[in-house]
Amino acid sequence: MKIFSESHKTVFVVDHCPYMAESCRQHVEFDMLVKNRTQGIIPLAPISKSLWTCSVESSMEYCRIMYDIFPFKKLVNFIVSDSGAHVLNSWTQEDQNLQELMAALAAVGPPNPRADPECCSILHGLVAAVETLCKITEYQHEARTLLMENAERVGNRGRIICITNAKSDSHVRMLEDCVQETIHEHNKLAANSDHLMQIQKCELVLIHTYAVGEDSLVSDRPKKELSPVLTSEVHSVRAGRHLATKLNILVQQHFDLASTTITNIPMKEEQHANTSANYDVELLHHKDAHVDFLKSGRSVLLEQPRKSGSKVISHMLSSHGGEIFLHVLSSSRSILEDPPSISEGCGGRVTDYRITDFGEFMRENRLTPFLDPRYKIDGSLEIPLERAKDQLEKHTRYWPMIISQTTIFNMQAVVPLASVIVKESLTEEDVLNCQKTIYNLVDMERKNDPLPISTVGTRGKGPKRDEQYRIMWNELETLVRAHINNSEKHQRVLECLMACRSKPPEEEERKKRGRKREDKEDKSEKAVKDYEQEKSWQDSERLKGILERGKEELAEAEIIKDSPDSPEPPNKKPLVDMDETPPVEKSKGPVSLLSLWSNRINTANSRKHQEFAGRLNSVNNRAELYQHLKEENGMETAENGKASRQ
Amino acid sequence: MPTVVVMDVSLSMTRPVSIEGSEEYQRKHLAAHGLTMLFEHMATNYKLEFTALVVFSSLWELMVPFTRDYNTLQEALSNMDDYDKTCLESALVGVCNIVQQEWGGAIPCQVVLVTDGCLGIGRGSLRHSLATHNQRSESNRFPLPFPFPSKLYIMCMANLEELQSTDSLDCLERLIDLNNGEGQIFTIDGPLCLKNVQSMFGKLIDLAYTPFHAILKCGHLTADVQVFPRPEPFVVDEEIDPIPKVINTDLEIVGFIDIADISSPPVLSRHLVLPIALNKEGDEVGTGITDDNEDENSANQIAGKIPNFCVLLHGSLKVEGMVAIVQLGPEWHGMLYSQADSKKKSNLMMSLFEPGPEPLPWLGKMAQLGPISDAKENPYGEDDNKSPFPLQPKNKRSYAQNVTVWIKPSGLQTDVQKILRNARKLPEKTQTFYKELNRLRKAALAFGFLDLLKGVADMLERECTLLPDTAHPDAAFQLTHAAQQLKLASTGTSEYAGYEHNITPLHTDFSGSSAERM
Repeated sequence: MKIFSESHKTVFVVDHCPYMAESCRQHVEFDMLVKNRTQGIIPLAPISKSLWTCSVESSMEYCRIMYDIFPFKKLVNFIVSDSGAHVLNSWTQEDQNLQELMAALAAVGPPNPRADPECCSILHGLVAAVETLCKITEYQHEARTLLMENAERVGNRGRIICITNAKSDSHVRMLEDCVQETIHEHNKLAANSDHLMQIQKCELVLIHTYAVGEDSLVSDRPKKELSPVLTSEVHSVRAGRHLATKLNILVQQHFDLASTTITNIPMKEEQHANTSANYDVELLHHKDAHVDFLKSGRSVLLEQPRKSGSKVISHMLSSHGGEIFLHVLSSSRSILEDPPSISEGCGGRVTDYRITDFGEFMRENRLTPFLDPRYKIDGSLEIPLERAKDQLEKHTRYWPMIISQTTIFNMQAVVPLASVIVKESLTEEDVLNCQKTIYNLVDMERKNDPLPISTVGTRGKGPKRDEQYRIMWNELETLVRAHINNSEKHQRVLECLMACRSKPPEEEERKKRGRKREDKEDKSEKAVKDYEQEKSWQDSERLKGILERGKEELAEAEIIKDSPDSPEPPNKKPLVDMDETPPVEKSKGPVSLLSLWSNRINTANSRKHQEFAGRLNSVNNRAELYQHLKEENGMETAENGKASRQ
Repeated sequence: MPTVVVMDVSLSMTRPVSIEGSEEYQRKHLAAHGLTMLFEHMATNYKLEFTALVVFSSLWELMVPFTRDYNTLQEALSNMDDYDKTCLESALVGVCNIVQQEWGGAIPCQVVLVTDGCLGIGRGSLRHSLATHNQRSESNRFPLPFPFPSKLYIMCMANLEELQSTDSLDCLERLIDLNNGEGQIFTIDGPLCLKNVQSMFGKLIDLAYTPFHAILKCGHLTADVQVFPRPEPFVVDEEIDPIPKVINTDLEIVGFIDIADISSPPVLSRHLVLPIALNKEGDEVGTGITDDNEDENSANQIAGKIPNFCVLLHGSLKVEGMVAIVQLGPEWHGMLYSQADSKKKSNLMMSLFEPGPEPLPWLGKMAQLGPISDAKENPYGEDDNKSPFPLQPKNKRSYAQNVTVWIKPSGLQTDVQKILRNARKLPEKTQTFYKELNRLRKAALAFGFLDLLKGVADMLERECTLLPDTAHPDAAFQLTHAAQQLKLASTGTSEYAGYEHNITPLHTDFSGSSAERM
């Protein structure tokens, strides 16, 4: 494809000399008798169009087709010629529509039959046409600016369609010579100008038109090269519909158009679908009901009969914003047939993707046009699409893909925080909501509410309640930390989170005991139950230290040992990175800011509490569980290694 | 891009080459060796490619129709007989037929021609074909350029010196030229032996059969993918931008759009996006596509159980009925969507739009698409009941407005009758009457068709005389007024024939006093 081919610039030169006011001698009946009219009325005499009317009408139709199919980058300059040249529009895109041209033509009006024929000539128009072809279009200018040192790649070609009434073949030759000479002269001028371009190729299409019934004084001649720059062809056409047909053929040739006739279109729209009347539309002359049907946003599939008698769906007509598009559908075999299903490929066996959540994510990241330019704080132009990418980056900083990889995204209570923390900036209200969310979670923890911790891959009930909360808090921290650099308010959310979750276990324990004591006093009937709870809680508290340490190994061992078919959670890292300070000797690669920070926090925290007995007494980081049971009952329950499953 | 292997089985292919060890090789053995290597490569790394095998001498035969079963192709290689002389033109005609029948004229195909550079003798020889190239009619058109987008790779079982000693190389180069330069000639470097044939086919594989690997990204969510078929380089404008554009290996999602909004956009090509598992060296260890190989199976099974972003994306696109807009390069975009085949197998697909700032007019400029959170209010509405798309074009198309065309008499007659119909229903239809009248007036003035204005004025005057006694008095006033105005316009004087001027209804008042302004 070439943008700057001959079709980029079309100059119409239409003869406006007195003889063009003559009738084309093709009558049009315009006073058609209608049914149920009083008898005896004689219809008004038919009228006929002038050569001028035929020429203008046909060239407007040429432009209409061109503009409909190529709303941009295909430009027309319209010139009428009599005692001088009247250039009706310019190459600018604003001038490129039928309304402008029609208004300009109306201002010119039909040729004056009484004007002095000696003063009038088509030559004025042809000279102006060459001149206008040297003028640069905005597209040429833009491309030249963009290509910089390669600006010479931008071509300057064009086509002159001249509709006139010539006197003879030698008259035609004179016109051609004139164009050739003018090009030669203007190219010299253009060579020394910045805002003019030399014409590299010009296609002259001379159309001699004459009244029906007359003999043509000019003979047809196919395209012929007159010089390396100029080719010329001559068409001798009767006026009226013959001229319109000729220009219709030409526009198809010039713009490489095809004509598709749609047959058997049901008359009217669907409300009259029962009637059997059908009609046909050739897809270059359509402005019928069928088009309205499309404009309502529907598509129509078109069938094509095959030699065998069968039919195949070959095209689709659809409309977008009032523009009609004809799509060619492939009717042969597809090279993409029988592809492997996505469920057979990588990740295809995983069944707990967060499909609904990602759907929600996609809806939040939908695009919309921003037609007015926006500017950044530094005054530079903001590109909306770049903003869209930024948002995707922010929204995906922590985004577990499967349900069993996350706790917080399975909790309704976290939504108010999770939905705003990803934002670029937070309002005071947002911060407040985040804080509320955190307090709410603290409250849930105090009440010992269950959490939607995934038990996939683990047998039994999964981790204990307080361990569940640890996992949840860690995950929440990961999410918030991913956004602390967005703004100072994000930082405040993290501070709130850290303050709420960092209470030393001893203190928590004391509080809990105190609270429970009160409960007991109030509701003595529950005493027994409470006692049991407390006991189990104590047990779990004892296990906590060991668990904390061995969680990762245990969890992994659990999954692999106990259910070999279960998927290995590949992204568990974010969950454990937070609370497990990686032993220094293990971290070989560069240390992330996150782990530096967690290191510091953990060291600080460790100073605030006593090390657990289990960890202190451990051998090779392993502590024997349920030693008390052994002591009390003398049973060896602890040795079967299932402690972690309680 | 389906492949047709066109194998020369003429007698000259049985010429022996230098002895390696105790075995004697013929050129056809070298060719079969090279093709085996190609087929093995495809079976592992390019398994969705359809390949057909054609053999030819003075006749041609389709040995294996298009298939992904590389065992069948391999078997066919070992079952080839020797025939008479080389007749390339008829074989190429055969290729045209086979490809067009199977894939039509729009799907790009690669033709791998394996020959020894002996181009036949007499009628049907390549020399004869080229010599008569200019004397062809439409019915015996030379098969090149192929009537479908194509690459012609000529694998010569000969080295350059040998080809240059005759005019063989010139003739083969001529073939590539005739195919609009689409293709390449490969010759054996150094002596004819298995090793050098391998290296020649290795070059073909590197050029045409390396899988396209990319990373699909959506913010921090990523997946390694293979895009099949390989996206081909695209030339936007051969003149001002002749360098073919190639898509990025980072496919970055920029946002999402409802399927109903993107509708059925025109696309350059469509591709499968297959998640792949890569090992540390970046080699593909499995696409998850089932295979007979046991090792691969287990690797695939593991890969199948690791969560993959492609699967998540595909699932949500399918459920939500949306597409992801993906950036392919500077000012080049495409879309990702879920597509199910007839067997309900679902897949992640990518379609490439035409490069440019505004590939789909109803979405506007791609760079101007931004996140909905930046908009003052959600353009999709709180209940998801609105859409910012489609954008309306600045200039309506002629079929989306009331354009007047009188090229056929019926167009003119319809417009005149519309006026007449409304004239008979005055004063109820006053607005429509004047609207139609003004439309006709404008068109007549633009086309310089003043006789029509006079004619319609006469007609309205006649209508006035035909009004029944029961007619509203206003009807007569309006008809007379309209006729008078048209007559004035038909004089063409600028005072009355202004294009922007509209004839307005005569102001009458029949409720109270009589028509005072008459």
